[in-house]
Amino acid sequence: MRYVLIGLCVASCAVFAQRRQRDFSPNPLARNPAAVAAGQKLFTNACGGCHGMAGEGARGPNLADGVRIRRSGARQLFNVVKQGVPGSDMPAFNLPDEKIWQVLAFVQSLSAPAIENPAPGDAEAGRQLFFGSAGCAHCHAVLGQGGFLGPDLSNAGEAHSVKQLRQALLDTKSHSIAGWEGATVVTTRGETIAGVARNHTNYSIQLVDAKGDLHLLTMDQVRHIAWHDGSIMPADYAARLTKVEIENVLAYLSRRAVRPEAPITAANAPMQGRPPE
Amino acid sequence: MTRCAVFAVLLALPLAAQVRFEDIRKGEGANWLTYSGDYASRRHSPLKQIDVSNAANLTAKWTYHVEGSRRLETTPLVYDGVMYITGTNEVHAIDARTGRRIWIYHDDQSRHQGVNRGVALLGNRVFFVTSDAHLFALDRRTGGVLWQTEYASADKGYGATLAPLALKDRVIVGVGGGDGGVRGFVSAFSAATGEQLWRHWTIPARGEPGSESWGDFPAAYAGAATWMTGSYDPELNLLYWQTGNPWPDLYGKPRTGDNLYTDSIVALDADTGNMKWYFQFTPHDTHDWDAQSIPVLVDMNYQGRMRKLLLHPNRNGFFYVLDRTDGKFLSATRMADKMNWASGIDAKGRPVVIPDTDPTRAGRLVCPSKRGAANWMSPSFDPATGLLFVPMFEQCDVYTTTETVPEPGKGLDGGGADELPSDPGQGFLRAIDPKTGERRWSYAMTGPTTMWAGAVSTAGGVVFFGDDEGQLIAVDARTGRTLWHYNMGQNLTASPITFSVDGKQYVSIAAATDVFTFGLFDGAAN
Repeated sequence: MRYVLIGLCVASCAVFAQRRQRDFSPNPLARNPAAVAAGQKLFTNACGGCHGMAGEGARGPNLADGVRIRRSGARQLFNVVKQGVPGSDMPAFNLPDEKIWQVLAFVQSLSAPAIENPAPGDAEAGRQLFFGSAGCAHCHAVLGQGGFLGPDLSNAGEAHSVKQLRQALLDTKSHSIAGWEGATVVTTRGETIAGVARNHTNYSIQLVDAKGDLHLLTMDQVRHIAWHDGSIMPADYAARLTKVEIENVLAYLSRRAVRPEAPITAANAPMQGRPPE
Repeated sequence: MTRCAVFAVLLALPLAAQVRFEDIRKGEGANWLTYSGDYASRRHSPLKQIDVSNAANLTAKWTYHVEGSRRLETTPLVYDGVMYITGTNEVHAIDARTGRRIWIYHDDQSRHQGVNRGVALLGNRVFFVTSDAHLFALDRRTGGVLWQTEYASADKGYGATLAPLALKDRVIVGVGGGDGGVRGFVSAFSAATGEQLWRHWTIPARGEPGSESWGDFPAAYAGAATWMTGSYDPELNLLYWQTGNPWPDLYGKPRTGDNLYTDSIVALDADTGNMKWYFQFTPHDTHDWDAQSIPVLVDMNYQGRMRKLLLHPNRNGFFYVLDRTDGKFLSATRMADKMNWASGIDAKGRPVVIPDTDPTRAGRLVCPSKRGAANWMSPSFDPATGLLFVPMFEQCDVYTTTETVPEPGKGLDGGGADELPSDPGQGFLRAIDPKTGERRWSYAMTGPTTMWAGAVSTAGGVVFFGDDEGQLIAVDARTGRTLWHYNMGQNLTASPITFSVDGKQYVSIAAATDVFTFGLFDGAAN
């Protein structure tokens, strides 16, 4: 039995508040290869000193973490570049609008969802690995097929970049396990329940077991909890799978999207004002 | 043995219980399994641990904050100790005893960011709609996605806010957007696969029966949205779905005629979607009086014989009783005191409209207000007292019209309506005897007339409802006497429920940003 990709949902869970007021005005140059290339040159000269040449963060914030940029509206990002951030070291850049959009096209490309630029492996071979010998589906589900002990991966390609998927697969120490902590509970009635704690406090614990059954316990029903040390996701996938197999699994996950639809553009941006009824 | 093998050492546990159609059909019990409590939408619980004698001892048990929310409209569902609520494009599963989150699913791709009124449950599945009219099926235990389908186009102005209705093997949904010029419909989808089983348009196509009630007005923009959860009679296998206003809401000149099937109840065969009957409350509406109040299905001795009734407090200020087997009009009584658009309802159920009550460019004071007398705030029906408890308003508006047809799909309704600052109106909870239409008691609220909260009644003789000041109130069902109140400090736009876990009865309601849950004081637990 193998446990895969435990931490994928954690980052996205933390940013709900920021999503709600997304400005959907798009970057007119988003995903334009020439603009991305031009933007990279500008970024290297003007931004890389603080944010790192690959946007990895240094004196300035990480711009390639897949969350900060993806959850910010293009217009919001544009204003940050154009006007700077008062009270911080981020200056205003007196660049023509087109060049700002070019810079943003590059920055946005750093954290593009995997579905927009999927890992290049054999997705069908990856699917067979996912549900077969790699054991991913023992814990993870895709559209209802699979297990209960790890995050649902039905939307993996839309919710995460290829970089994030790769990191989740190969570096289990890199992500939070909040909501997916392995625990074995012995109740005061003598039952033993093993699973992951979707939540817990000093007063209650909410477990789901490998069959998907929920166990909602208050601590007066619990005699003992044995916590798993770190993520229950195996840490040895780099050794367990060949490089080709890893790429194939990533190719499969890159293409998982619950709503595979056109990116939001000016033409299909949502209506302004109060939503219908 | 791998380090994970310990997780395979599991007890022989029974299969997880599932929500069956039969369970929902039985109605309220320990759980709350569908938006209106049962298919008949009575919102009456058999629980009686909390009763008239002890309701004063209610105390707060837990509060669940929905991050980023501003206006929760969700009615929680509860099954097997788990509460399911919705926020904007998201579902939360919560431990109903403690208020701790179990899982959350958020659809990050919705093109609208609107309110949502709740989920449906069937089997191990949770169903909800996004603001841009996608229907999702999630795994009840994990929140994992099982399928989703776009059932109406946001490009054309459609949206969705309702809690779906699950029955048999299917899930029923409707649409919003009627104030911006769309064509309403009700659709059924396979709960297993998401395949559409049928679609019933609430505006007839040209040449179909009812289309003669529109003149030349195009059906594609005519309205009759279906933005609230309907009711269902399993014996008759009929859905009773509410339809919204015609469009443009406040300018009626270009849509000559009655404008079928707007402001109506349509009775649809649940298997086929075919319409068996309809009843229109407000023909040729020019005041945005959607018929969205929940139809309450009651069997009672009425005018000398047992009848299958449909009770409907309407936005237009009248309280209606229909025979739900065939839609026959039985009675309508004046529910609102502030009423100047109709002098009554005739023997066929048609309003006797007072002349010169349409909106004008300069503005015309008409009662009820655009908000309506009743609206989508859920009523409840208590079989012990035989009373229907109706949250409602006494209010008038100055209605204006642009006298133009706006561009469809832009969210414009062809006019406006505002109350007079000197007379902002008032909220009430009223107990109505359906047999006579008589008002047995009336609880007058204070507040700014901004609430949209419903009611729930119980076998303990208590009616819980949200008031216009952000308070959950408990009153005696027989008299309306206050038993208990709790100030949540947030505007209320949702209806309370009651449920039981481990033998303890709770009452929950979503306020603007938090779900509050109450129970009787328990010294040991507290």
